[in-house]
Amino acid sequence: MKSFPELRPRWPDAVVAAAVVLLAVTCAWLIWRGTEQGGALEAVVSVDGTEAFTTPLTGLTRVERTVQANGYTLKIILTDKEVWVEESDCPTQDCVHTGHISRSGQSIVCLPARVTVRLVGGTGEPDVDAVIG
Amino acid sequence: MKRIAALFLALGMVLAAGCAKKDQDEPEQREVFAMDTAMVLTIYGEDAFRAANAAEEEIYRLDSLLSRTNEASKVSLLNNAGGKMVPVGVALCDLIQTAATYTELTGGAFDITIAPVVSAWGFTTDHYQVPEQEELEELLTHVGMEHVQLSGKSSASAGYENASLDPGTQIDMGGIAKGYASDRLSVIFQEHQIPQALISLGGNVLTWGSKPDGSAWRVGIQDPNAPSDPNAYVGILQLTDAFAVTSGSYERFFEQDGVTYHHIIDPATGYPARNGLVSVTVVADAAQGNGTMCDALSTALFVMGREKALDFWRSGACDFEMILVSVTVVADAAQGNGTMCDALSTALFVMGREKALDFWRSGACDFEMILVDEDGLVTVTAGLEDCFQAAEGGGYTYEVVS
Repeated sequence: MKSFPELRPRWPDAVVAAAVVLLAVTCAWLIWRGTEQGGALEAVVSVDGTEAFTTPLTGLTRVERTVQANGYTLKIILTDKEVWVEESDCPTQDCVHTGHISRSGQSIVCLPARVTVRLVGGTGEPDVDAVIG
Repeated sequence: MKRIAALFLALGMVLAAGCAKKDQDEPEQREVFAMDTAMVLTIYGEDAFRAANAAEEEIYRLDSLLSRTNEASKVSLLNNAGGKMVPVGVALCDLIQTAATYTELTGGAFDITIAPVVSAWGFTTDHYQVPEQEELEELLTHVGMEHVQLSGKSSASAGYENASLDPGTQIDMGGIAKGYASDRLSVIFQEHQIPQALISLGGNVLTWGSKPDGSAWRVGIQDPNAPSDPNAYVGILQLTDAFAVTSGSYERFFEQDGVTYHHIIDPATGYPARNGLVSVTVVADAAQGNGTMCDALSTALFVMGREKALDFWRSGACDFEMILVSVTVVADAAQGNGTMCDALSTALFVMGREKALDFWRSGACDFEMILVDEDGLVTVTAGLEDCFQAAEGGGYTYEVVS
């Protein structure tokens, strides 16, 4: 059977086909990677429910961030493994007493200042999704 | 040209697919400060954004309706009415009726009219003090749902719209407000066809559906012996479509003359409940109204103590499960029945372990619980056996009772 010349595959067709396959594989990898808990552990600091800043912990030795909110000042320490509130002039001191958090899903809350420090990302699933009590 | 067009078409398709996938998997997350706590809403689904907006709005609405410290709230209007009948609306009247139901069910262990006594201890202002006995005795004469009146039905089927309090009586909806809020959020999730959500309202949790991967939500129960340690749990509940509420004496307390006083006041005595319990967790399915029930019962069971709480669970009056944690068992002497606490002495309001167990076994409400004794014994009622995971390394031993 005689084939038409214009339907014969040529080298540019192979390039397009390869590009499509490469794109599909790359996108699939990006999509599925995005749904996992993986990636660097990050500290998300929010004030009044709005994200103030996010800091990846990877490579940090010791970084000090000061957050002023609702009349109170919190000194937050970030390292590559954990985060804590070292000082606060809030009346309850619950944020200071919470101590160090180191795993994804954990958080520190300062109710008077309406500040939260939350860890997200990292490898592995968090122990719990929520804590009551 | 056609080849270039095909290339861009393929690129567009995979990018569109990627965006769609990301929208489905990533939740809408909100942090809300209301009702004197930090709340976290994690909502999945196509309509998650609108549902989160509605949920946030509803929480603020309820806070402004039920807050005792907000002078513009309906509760403040009622508390400051000087005994007059005032229009507070159907929603608050309905919630007062619900509270009255739990007061009756629990024999007065849950009572929203305990408000003036709580204030006398300074727990609403953080200016803590131990009130004089005479003051407590006088305040207790104003405690009781018989001091609350409702009126103003527009028709036989309609709800009450007006309320009044006897002079000297005040109400505090704090023991039921977050539970009611979680009930209201469950309605919003139904309206927006939300498939999965995790709502944490302080000590109240609503697990809506399962996690996106199909597994149960894992809810840790804070270890009362290490309340500041974010890694310390008594155990982990694996829940889907459920409410869970914990009340603990370690959440708010002060010390005076070497004695620790916490914020969960026994309406019978006016003193912080002292029966050995330090934490009570109540669990129920996500049926409408169960969030409110769990909230009310977590306080009531704490006041009851271990044995009476166990009796209440066994009575079947309410459909729930529970976890009780106690670090001191001091009430063996009160074992038996009907031991009432005397307002004149701390020892007299100790109900203790055996009485709580009796209450659970009586079946007045259908619930489960976990108790922890001072020797580290954790008692778990049978209905929680399959979904309660003991924490390792906490120094506790565990038993299941039926």
